[in-house]
Parts: sequence; structure tokens; C-alpha cells
Amino acid sequence: MTGVRRGAIGLTLLGLAGLIGLFWMSFFWVSTEANQGVVQRIFYVHVPAAWTSFLAIGVAALCSAVYLWLRDDKLDRAAMCAAEGGLVFATIVLTTGPLWGKIAWGTYWTWEPRLTLTLLLWFIFVGYFMVRNATEDPDKGKRFAAVVAIVGALDIPFIHLSVIWFRSLHPQPVVAKPEGPTLPADMLATLMVGLGTFTILFFGLFLFRYALEGLRSEVDLRARRSAA
Amino acid sequence: MTLRHDSRLPFLLAAITVLLAFVLTAGDASALVAQESGLPGTRVAEQNLRPYWHVFAAYTIVITLIGGWAFSIARRLRNLEERLVD
Repeated sequence: MTGVRRGAIGLTLLGLAGLIGLFWMSFFWVSTEANQGVVQRIFYVHVPAAWTSFLAIGVAALCSAVYLWLRDDKLDRAAMCAAEGGLVFATIVLTTGPLWGKIAWGTYWTWEPRLTLTLLLWFIFVGYFMVRNATEDPDKGKRFAAVVAIVGALDIPFIHLSVIWFRSLHPQPVVAKPEGPTLPADMLATLMVGLGTFTILFFGLFLFRYALEGLRSEVDLRARRSAA
Repeated sequence: MTLRHDSRLPFLLAAITVLLAFVLTAGDASALVAQESGLPGTRVAEQNLRPYWHVFAAYTIVITLIGGWAFSIARRLRNLEERLVD
């Protein structure tokens, strides 16, 4: 078993244990928010999923930028694996958010800046794979996808600052702000467990996905050799 | 034989279509329902449990998507390992 797989198994198991802990904290430990009630508990999976999708596009963009420079296929594979994870977590953001919004705002969706920019991020993840698979020449597809990932990462500061720059329905930041977090201690602890858990799960599954791509390239290589 | 181009394009296009349909229709329709806030008395009680269903659905989505990704990776890994052995 390779080091990558061992790391993947360790991180994924740790992440799954964290997920069980997060669910227990969310349902049985953390206090109920006074104004929003029970639906506020969606916050403990929605925000970590958003953070993880930002992390994923960041990793994809970084690996893509270095890939364009060094043309090392391992970096392209890493970028693709991060983008796949980003698509999963961005989908969680875009489905859990509206479930909260329906109770808090009375509507599943509204075209306000943060929601629209997050939907754009989801399309960037989808576009990454479409561009990658749309060319006859695989190397060209990899280069085009790398550019999509780099441009996509520019969406992240806009998503974060959109609620400050524009008149927005979406709640203002309660943790990542200059004067520090304004959440009660138990809510902050639950959120931090969520952020840690989702990050560990992302990297665990990312490593599994990376091992898969390594194996795929080995199978491709053997197939080419046997065909020659 | 190429494994990289495994044609996920139809799946991605289908996902985009479904999401667009949801966003464009559900958003407007639910906004209309929200404006008509005068619910009959029998439905007020039903509304009290609604936040619980939404929380339940949100956490189910989290398990389903993360679990689905993990199972998808495991399935693809197993297939490739079998091919490598062959």
C-alpha cells in the first residue's frame, strides 16, 4: 500500500469520526439560536461546505498554475481531484443554503450577489470538467482547464466580500471579520469542528482520488504498451 | 484505448439542466407562495415542524453527497485494480 493511500485512509477515517462528532454536537449539544430556531443548525454544515469548496478551488488553481509552468502531469491530476471535491462541496452549499433560506427568507432562491456568485463557482467547477473533456488533444484540454481553475479562484474574494460591498439578504460574516468572531462559544466550537471535519474529509478523499488517477495513468500506460 | 475521456459530459449537462430548472422555477414559485402568507389554520400546525424537515434534509444531503463521492472513488479504484490484475 502506498503512502498516499495510507494517508487517505487515515484522514478519511478521522474525517468520518469528526462527522459523527459534528452531527452529535449539532443535534444534541449546541444551543438553539433564539431568533431563527432549529433551522439555524444547517449553518454547521453549510458554512464548512462553503469553506471547503473555496479551499478546493484554491488547491485546483494553485496546482493548475504550477502545472502551466512545469507541465508536470501529477499537478494536473491533483488539480482535477481538487476540482471534483470542490464540485461536491459546492453542491452541498447550493442545496443546504436554499433549505435554510426557505424558512428564514420565505424563498428557496433569490438572485442576490452572494448566492449568484456561489452558483457561478459551481458552474466554474462544472466548466472545468467540460473544458477538459471537450478537446481532441488531452494536453490542450488540461491547459484550458487549468486556466478555468485559475480564473475560477478569482471568484472567491468576491463571494466573501459581496455581503459587505452590496446590499445583500445573505447574513454578514460572523467569524471571518476584523473584530473577531461574534458567535456564542458553543456555536463557535461546533462550527470549528465542522470546518476541521470537512477540511480533513476533503483532503482524505482528495488523496484517494489522487491515488485513483495514478492507477488510471498506469493502466493507460500498460494499454498503450500492449497496443504498440 | 483511452480511459481519461470517459464521457462524463452527458452527466454534467444533465446536472446543469436540472439545477437551472430548479433555480429558475422553484425560486419564483416559492416567492409567490411566500407572498401569500395567509395560510388556513390547519396548515399553521404543519408549518411548525417544517424547519425540522429542512434540517433533516440538509444533513441527509451532506451524508449522501460525501458518501456518494467516497463510494464513487472506491468503485472506480476497484475497477482499475481489477483491470490491472487482468
